[in-house]
Amino acid sequence: MEEVVCSKEDLNPGEMMESTFGRHSIVVCRASDGHYYAFLNRCIHQGAPLSKGKICGAPEPTDTLGEYNFDREGDILRCPWHGREFDIRNEGRMLANEKFKIKNFNVMEKNEQVIVYK
Amino acid sequence: MSTKQQKKLHLIDTDIHEKVTYEDLMPYLEQPYKRYIEDCHWIQEKHMPFTQPAVAGVNRADAEVPDGRPAGSDLPFMQYQLLDDIGHEVGILTGALDPSPSSMHGWYEMATALARAYNDWQIEHWLEKDERLYGSVHIAAQEPHEAVKEIERVGSHEKMVQILLPIDDIMWGDPYYHPIFEAAEKHDLMIGMHHNEPPVYYGKWPRYFIEWHTLIPTAHMMIVTNMVFNGVFEKFPKLKMMMIEGGFTYVPFLMRKMDQQYRDLRHEVPWIQRMPSDIIREHICFTTQPLEEMSKKEFLQTFEQMGSDDMVSFSTDYPHWDYDNPYEALPNGLDEELMRKLLSENARNFYPKLPNRKEED
Repeated sequence: MEEVVCSKEDLNPGEMMESTFGRHSIVVCRASDGHYYAFLNRCIHQGAPLSKGKICGAPEPTDTLGEYNFDREGDILRCPWHGREFDIRNEGRMLANEKFKIKNFNVMEKNEQVIVYK
Repeated sequence: MSTKQQKKLHLIDTDIHEKVTYEDLMPYLEQPYKRYIEDCHWIQEKHMPFTQPAVAGVNRADAEVPDGRPAGSDLPFMQYQLLDDIGHEVGILTGALDPSPSSMHGWYEMATALARAYNDWQIEHWLEKDERLYGSVHIAAQEPHEAVKEIERVGSHEKMVQILLPIDDIMWGDPYYHPIFEAAEKHDLMIGMHHNEPPVYYGKWPRYFIEWHTLIPTAHMMIVTNMVFNGVFEKFPKLKMMMIEGGFTYVPFLMRKMDQQYRDLRHEVPWIQRMPSDIIREHICFTTQPLEEMSKKEFLQTFEQMGSDDMVSFSTDYPHWDYDNPYEALPNGLDEELMRKLLSENARNFYPKLPNRKEED
């Protein structure tokens, strides 16, 4: 099964949009590397619609107390409710605990289209 | 957020925040207070030092009104996103975060005027606009005789169910509050505790929001302990207290600790003639949010240790960032009777002014 979920021109790096894949609501994200990523539009915590959240960066883990090193702008998807951070370029894994992830879909770019498939 | 497959819940939601602006309060404020706000641009000094926690500050990012107004400020949008979507039977408003008259340190006349204006605005724009919404009486407890006058003025309103008190340096078991409790009993109003501006950290703020937010239950533990041992519920037997937004998983520890202390130290508080845990079970109810993620087993063990499942009531805290979704926040597989208690009947039994259960669809 494959489905066109948006056009490449719909998103700039660091932007996202809601779309559908079959009967699923999905969120399509374009990360800082220019590539497209797609996830189920539902937070694993309490079901919030992730497309209403924000794509941003995050303070990197540090060994120095009191240090903020804000990085990876455009690569982190934060939930609109509790603000949990998910790594767009690493299968949607949660920054606080990589064992947990939002559901991701396979994505390919073909001509001017973004296609989700399984 | 419900889906088409999900059954409406008939929820009694014990914590919903309606959002006021200073502009909203102008029609209800008298002079000279109105002038200080309109001409002098007075606003209440707020102290929280933190950057805000989530994507859209303290609110759910998707709760901003579509026309750009702040989350919680528009009844039709709240109806659409929350009350109609979930199927609320009742929502209890706990508003007043900014301005928050009860947390003003100084100029108590302004605090009193703001509380009056807030109550009038709440009644006209929320309680009388949606039959599901019930309200909290806001007072400036810094002036107790004025606070009592305000309770007398609006407390008999059929949809006012509780009085919110300030969390500050006068603990609620202090006789200072007795006139307020007397007025509360007279009007079948319960006492509500919801944290606001005041700190929970030795009178100051911790360095990080994550510390403050983790420790909110400690402020609740202090008030529960203080109210029980100071004999408030012995002097005012009809009075009950709803602990809002502190969760409930600390309660088993506190009950055990208070009982153990009472066995040793009863002589100091001889007006307490029953176990503290019995007083808590009879007089205090706890709202669920913000729920920790627990297995069904862990969740049920908490009730077992509390010796009751009648004293916990579901709350969403809509539209705030740490909203609990009633479809998702509780462990899966809870039995129907417990769900019914948590989602509605415990709150209905707690607040004497709430309506009887409506027939289910």
